[in-house]
Amino acid sequence: MKISRRNFLKGSATTLFLAGFNFPVLANTDKKKNLVVIMLRGGMDGLCAVPIIGDKNFEKKRKDLILDETIKLNSDFALHPKLKNFHNLWQNDLGAIVHATNIPYTKRSHFDGQNLMETGGHVPYAIKTGWLGRGMKLAELKGDGLALALPMPLLLRGIPSNDNFYPSKKRLPRTELLQLLKSVYADKSEHDLANMMEIIANRSMMNNGGTSMSRKNSSLAYKAGLELKKINGPRVAVFEVDGFDTHAAQGGVNGSHSDSLIEMDSIFKSLEKGLGSEIENTLVLTLTEFGRTIKQNGGRGTEHGYGSAIFMAGGLLKKSQVYTDWPGLKRKELFEGRDLNSTIDARSVYASAMSSVFDIDFKRIQKEVFWGDELINLSDKLFKS
Amino acid sequence: MKNFYRKVAFGLGPNDKIPTDPLKWATNQLNDIPEFSWKGKILPEKELRKYYGEWVYGDRKVLRKKFKNDKDGYKREKNKLRHATGQKFWWNLELCIRYSEALKSETPVLAKLWYFWGNHFAISEKDFLAKYTTGAYQREIIRANMNQNFEKMAQEATIGWSMIHHLDNEQNIGPKSQEARWAREKGKTKGVNENHARELLELHTVSPDCGYTQEDVIQMAYIMSGWRPEWGKKRLETGDVHFNPDAHEPGTKIVLGKKYKRGRKSLSVAITDLVNHPSCRKFIAMKLCRYLITDNPTEEMMEPIIKAWEKSDGFLPEVHKAAIEVAFNYSDKYNKFQNPENWLLQMSKMADVDLIPSPSFMDLYKLGNKPIKDQRALEYLMDELGQHPYLAKQPNGWSDISEDWMSPELLIRRLVYAREAYYKKSGKSQTNEFYEEMIEKNYDNPSEILQIINQYKELVHKHVILFNLPETLKS
Repeated sequence: MKISRRNFLKGSATTLFLAGFNFPVLANTDKKKNLVVIMLRGGMDGLCAVPIIGDKNFEKKRKDLILDETIKLNSDFALHPKLKNFHNLWQNDLGAIVHATNIPYTKRSHFDGQNLMETGGHVPYAIKTGWLGRGMKLAELKGDGLALALPMPLLLRGIPSNDNFYPSKKRLPRTELLQLLKSVYADKSEHDLANMMEIIANRSMMNNGGTSMSRKNSSLAYKAGLELKKINGPRVAVFEVDGFDTHAAQGGVNGSHSDSLIEMDSIFKSLEKGLGSEIENTLVLTLTEFGRTIKQNGGRGTEHGYGSAIFMAGGLLKKSQVYTDWPGLKRKELFEGRDLNSTIDARSVYASAMSSVFDIDFKRIQKEVFWGDELINLSDKLFKS
Repeated sequence: MKNFYRKVAFGLGPNDKIPTDPLKWATNQLNDIPEFSWKGKILPEKELRKYYGEWVYGDRKVLRKKFKNDKDGYKREKNKLRHATGQKFWWNLELCIRYSEALKSETPVLAKLWYFWGNHFAISEKDFLAKYTTGAYQREIIRANMNQNFEKMAQEATIGWSMIHHLDNEQNIGPKSQEARWAREKGKTKGVNENHARELLELHTVSPDCGYTQEDVIQMAYIMSGWRPEWGKKRLETGDVHFNPDAHEPGTKIVLGKKYKRGRKSLSVAITDLVNHPSCRKFIAMKLCRYLITDNPTEEMMEPIIKAWEKSDGFLPEVHKAAIEVAFNYSDKYNKFQNPENWLLQMSKMADVDLIPSPSFMDLYKLGNKPIKDQRALEYLMDELGQHPYLAKQPNGWSDISEDWMSPELLIRRLVYAREAYYKKSGKSQTNEFYEEMIEKNYDNPSEILQIINQYKELVHKHVILFNLPETLKS
């Protein structure tokens, strides 16, 4: 382990804003850029997914959970050996990681934490919209969101007319019937209903003989990739992966945490497949409520922790890197003496990502999406301009 | 006017007579709380909570340790424990009880309001609440108090085990309490958890419109500190709720300008004050109008409900009657987009869909076994429709705003499950005459509707169109 605490983040935060001041919108480029967020529910263990190399404290505390045959990323960090697709992306400068990061939530409730990771706020349940929805509203991206879930996730709330896709297990009625309903809606001036029926009637894959599509994230991701690729398709997609809450039998390479990481990895692969060359104009980010304790518990699992990691993929990344202000794992360096600390507010990454993908000034996002909270613009460090 | 039957209930079924006085028909259903119409087994909340405890203990304290090196063994044994505690069955039984009130009882209006209150004092998706106790909470604390004052419902819901656990009040410890002192001696910190206090103000009683501050929330949390399940080595967090003075914040608290002394009684005194605050009745009146009439209720709509509240001291039958009367008066002017659950129940009632498994079939279930697929039909269906009533995403419950239910995928569900439902109808209701009579009974524009649906010959198509017409989606 060579890495030590660096002070490279100091001094760049700005929190003073003048009321009524209009921040300029950055020049709009012609190419359509996509943002994909994968929510990892249950508390993703950043130290299992991206372990530190050669740290005695770590090895001692996690005797039974240390992975064999990890993939070395650089002199300090390795990658979970099952994350093969992500590793391929990494090798092509299409994969990167932000480590020792989390949303500013330091308690241990999944429900509060997941609420905050989606709202981007500080008080659980106090905000009723999601940071992504608010960011899209700022970018005037009405109707450009696609959720791969049945209820619209909180993350996308805040802007109307998002689309969602979650294949029904049953057959859709014939197209003529849908057209009839659409014309009835139009006759009765039910424009929202008519618009939606239009989307439904155009869902070709729903109408081909009624074979129901898989709801696996890997197949949803392929479908999402195809939609994002379209020039008039959605520009934002949201996924969810469950099962990171491994209090027991978290295990090593074949443990239960690995199962969830593999599912995440399959999303990367299928998205890339669906997007084709448009992966170049896409940015994929993960989001979780907290990391997990360094120390394994009596059940060879881990408890709810604090700092975690963010996986990033796509051609809008600057380069392959593990971007971190590594806090260290000695007892006094840990959060509350037990968890990997968070030295980068994860919202800085998300605000920077929205700024880069939506072409909106970072300060406007900081101010209007995150209430002027002290966030740092990481766009230059992480993303292509 | 006929949309009134769908607005305040689920429409008229084939065996329902057309009421001579629709308003009376509705308000007469609101005075008493009849026995449940479900004729099968109904378990008390306490017993269901005991199963919850057995599950939590078995998983957390036994299996996690025993199978620490064996992921597959852990999964296998956990599944056994699920069945031993009925984890996949109880909530299906609760849904049967719930939907019988809409479809088989003499009081569907009461049922529609029951769903309103269950969602007002929502227990959202957290831990295993939905699987074991949320249905029972809605029976024993919500429905049982629908012929009482709002205050009584609020008091009981607040210290109900489900709500206390749902909103983390067991972690709400006064920072100057005895327990916090003990924790400090061990180098730990324990303090206030304001979650429950905030929701009591924001969602359950006065709402942010009353202008409370963050300090009010914290002071309210101090008042609530100490109310939590009685801890036991085996039952863990599933013990009865009691007041533990060791965790209670000492000293006087001030909420909305009023002082409260330390101790057990302060919470109930504070709730009394909250429910009597003018913002509380206004908030509830607004929510009732929004649920029954429109996304954007007007002052004129809310007025009679607030008056009835003031006159009766928040006596729910009177509040309900006032709300129903307002809904009646506005029924020609406003149509409310129905949420998936109310839509499904409307369709089932009017078209005579056999939605609910029979009591004898449900009672075949034996603890320890995996419930058979058809015993779990309602759980799957509600999940597919996007509104399982015990799995709201947040403590503010399922939304009453139309826009939140408008998405392509949610509309697709209505199309496909209208079709599925058609095949769950008895043969005698699969006739043109049945549909003509039903449409005549339930819609104000029967000839227009018949003209639209008669563009198709097959009844199943007519059925799908009917239940996706704006006239049905909005009532």
